[in-house]
This record gives sequence, structure tokens and C-alpha cells, in this order.
Amino acid sequence: MDETIREVLAEHGKLPVDIATVSDDADLYQSGLTSHASVNVMLALEDAFDVEFPDAMLRKSTFESIQSIRDALTTLGVSAPTG
Amino acid sequence: MRVLVGTDLQSIDEISSSIDRFGARFTARIFTDDEVACCGGLTSRAAPGLAARFAAKEAVMKLLKPVDDAPGWRSIELCRQPGGACTVELHGQAATRAAELGLDFVDVSMTHGAGIGMATVVGISTAPTAEGMN
Repeated sequence: MDETIREVLAEHGKLPVDIATVSDDADLYQSGLTSHASVNVMLALEDAFDVEFPDAMLRKSTFESIQSIRDALTTLGVSAPTG
Repeated sequence: MRVLVGTDLQSIDEISSSIDRFGARFTARIFTDDEVACCGGLTSRAAPGLAARFAAKEAVMKLLKPVDDAPGWRSIELCRQPGGACTVELHGQAATRAAELGLDFVDVSMTHGAGIGMATVVGISTAPTAEGMN
């Protein structure tokens, strides 16, 4: 799951830094994620994982870190690979 | 009386790209149906107006200074009035936060050109000691 999240952030996040250098708990907004880019990231995540973020999850905190995105996707039923 | 100000700008090209890539899924998450319609519908010619409205919504969020999470984009609505000027209508979380701040009035000015949409909002509160305004 994390690899796909990072691919989406690399393509749609418009971050001024290499996503490979961003830790899982780093603040993506502090790293340069704009509000507009966060919408693109959300929609691209929906496509990548075949889910839909409900309005209740359309909050800044949902997309503030790779960890928080992972948690949100898990809440929506996306399973992390095991093993 | 206290005066609060918020301002923001948004690339028109970025809005256009999002419409091209995600279509109505993008606009529906951010804008009300009326906002999209008054900008020209789901076409590239709507991008300048929608960029200005996106900037206006962000400017309102800066003005509201939410304590926890920001209100949803659709809870801040730009309504075109006869003559072309727009007013700000606040719903849900945004309206609740405005009430906490004691806002009596919010006005907006939007423009677009040179590749960007831009907006400035001003709010006036007559509440003597409103939360988050110190």
C-alpha cells in the first residue's frame, strides 16, 4: 500500500522534494503539499485503490502524512499486504 | 469591532488540469452545482472562475482560522448576485466557526488573470472577545 501511496504523491502531490526523502510521519503540508494538490491526491488514491473518501474524511488531517493516508485507506477497507 | 482578512491565489492551469484529469469528480468535491454552472459548466472556460472561487474558499478558511480541522470546501459557497458581484454564503462547519468568531459580515473580492485566480475576503466582528481572535 505504501508504495502506491508514494507513487500517487509523486505524480499528483507536486511536492518540491523527492517523495523518497519524506518519512511516513512527516507533515506533507510542511513538505509543500497544497490544498489543491491534496484534492488531486485524494482523487488519484480513489482510482488507485478503488475506494471513495466520504465527506467526513475530506479533512486536512486525512492527508497530512503518509501514515494518516494509510490509516484512512485502512478505514475504507484497503488491506496492507502481509508477510 | 474587529476586522479579519484572508487572501489566497490559485493557478488556473492547475484547475484546468484537474478538470481534464478527474472531471466532475474534482468539481463536485470542491464546488456546488451553482458555482460550476455560473462559471460556464464543466468546460475549460470555467477554469478561471473556478480558480478564483477556489482561492476565495481558501481565503475564507484563512479568515476563519479553524482550531481543529478546516471546514469542507462546499461549506463555503460563492454566490453570484445580479450585476455579477459575488457574496459568501457559509454553511455547516464554516457557519459554525463564523458564529464562534462572532462574525457579522463577510465580503469577498475575486479576480483572475495572468494565469491565476485570486481572492481577498474581509470579515467584521462586533463580538467583544470572540474565540480565536486574540
